[in-house]
Amino acid sequence: MSNAANTGDRQTEPVPPPLEDLGAVGQLGAAAIDLLIGGRELYSVFVRTLYYVARGRKEKGALLKQMYEIGNRSVFFLSVTMGFLGMILVYQAGLQSKRVVPDFTLLGATYLELLVRDFAASLGALMLATRVGAGIAAEIGSMVVTEQIDALRMCAADPIDFLIKPRFLASLIMTTVLIVWAGTVAFVAGGLTAYFAFDVPLRTFFSMQMVDFGDVATGLAKCIAYGAAIPIVSGYCGLSTFGGSEGVGWATTRAVVNTSLAIIILNFFISGAGFLIFPG
Amino acid sequence: MAAQTGASTAASAEPGGLATLAGNVGASFLDIAETTGGMTILLARIVARTIPPRVDGRELLKNLYKMGVKSLPIVAVTALFTGAIMVIQAAAIVKRYGAEGLLGWGAGFGTLREIAPLLTALMISGRVGANNTAELGTMVVTEQLDALRVLAIDPISFLIAPRFISIVSTLFMMTLFADALALFGAAYTGQALLGVSPTTFYNGLTGGLLGFGDVATGLVKSVVFGFVIGLASCHFGLATKGGAPGVGRAVNSTVMASAAGVFVLDYLTSFALGG
Repeated sequence: MSNAANTGDRQTEPVPPPLEDLGAVGQLGAAAIDLLIGGRELYSVFVRTLYYVARGRKEKGALLKQMYEIGNRSVFFLSVTMGFLGMILVYQAGLQSKRVVPDFTLLGATYLELLVRDFAASLGALMLATRVGAGIAAEIGSMVVTEQIDALRMCAADPIDFLIKPRFLASLIMTTVLIVWAGTVAFVAGGLTAYFAFDVPLRTFFSMQMVDFGDVATGLAKCIAYGAAIPIVSGYCGLSTFGGSEGVGWATTRAVVNTSLAIIILNFFISGAGFLIFPG
Repeated sequence: MAAQTGASTAASAEPGGLATLAGNVGASFLDIAETTGGMTILLARIVARTIPPRVDGRELLKNLYKMGVKSLPIVAVTALFTGAIMVIQAAAIVKRYGAEGLLGWGAGFGTLREIAPLLTALMISGRVGANNTAELGTMVVTEQLDALRVLAIDPISFLIAPRFISIVSTLFMMTLFADALALFGAAYTGQALLGVSPTTFYNGLTGGLLGFGDVATGLVKSVVFGFVIGLASCHFGLATKGGAPGVGRAVNSTVMASAAGVFVLDYLTSFALGG
């Protein structure tokens, strides 16, 4: 309503009309502008984090505490989900190959290749995005709402140096570690499923013949990319919290969604690049 | 409250790391049992309100719009990229054996049965489930639920049942969309990356190796996932306590419980539905 009054008074200063009045093209444009602004701010958070990693202050204990928070406390959750995932994948793959060629000798090798190249990293990171990403956004969002971030700024301490940087470093290390662990859990669970459901001997299943350098490189590149993306995206969502307790909820929601989307999109690009660089 | 803290300090003061470990494990099991029990009771309450239906119609429509229609863009993006990723993963194997006709089947089987329902559920759990918890949690923290009770409005049939029904139906419909869009994305990635024409892809898809059963498996799963996500988000939303940080914690536990529940039930459903 105040918008309408403004446009009536001053024609020179265009005030954006409310979103419902924009029409389809206008809404698309508004969404694109929002996306652009969000992307720019995300980029700024990322660059500042990298700057503080190189030049920031050293705080003993913060990194270790975050590593414990991100890493150790996710182990149980990640083991359960990835264990079940391994069982599902092998069960489905077994059913699939049963229909075409009832030959299970390459099941384990192919499964390990896919796990190393994609599934361990991507699905593990999606799980971490829900656990770690939501945790980071909820924590930082509560700090914003209770004005602790403003207090930090008052003390001339950049919240990115103080809050995001330790989480960034911890996530970079722990995501890689956790994904290696998650892949192991998924592979062992898959091996047991193959043994009990399709009578594949464990010795046949545990075969590394199809994993080559390209697979490992793609998988590790994904670990590092996701490890960097999770704290940056969710930290940004936490820092841009506004409004009271509802705002914290919104921030956490956005963190989970945006982090998951970031992982899926990164996965697309890294997988594509991996396929083009290491074909076959 | 004071008695509880006293008891916990007494317990932690006792010697032996093993006892603490066992205590922790036991506590987390009790926690899981409590959550599962709470969710089951909530389900029973919701079911009691749907037969005969005593669900607020306007609230239902509002939630269907907010959860269903508004989630479409994110589901579309996820599905397109997922289809593309499935083809990239299948590409190496297809190239190795030169079996281009099988690309549609290979990517389609995994997508329809597993990946499309699973990833749609994860995205919906993030967008809709978490959002729902945040909303309910805020209502609980600001005592709006008590206000409803004072006005003799049943919060379950006014707030919870419409949301639960909306989440389940949203996930079902979104999985349909995701199936279609993922295959679309897969077909065109196959063309760009491997030079397999979309026609070959669709022929491989409909060539007899895939049937209605595969699509139905995915859809049954989506309904099961909808139940888990809906129950988890309503349960944790209602159990929120402790101001703004409490809402954040509630959202966090919703997403985790949904993810764990989705994976566990995915396995059980796959096994129960068999080939």
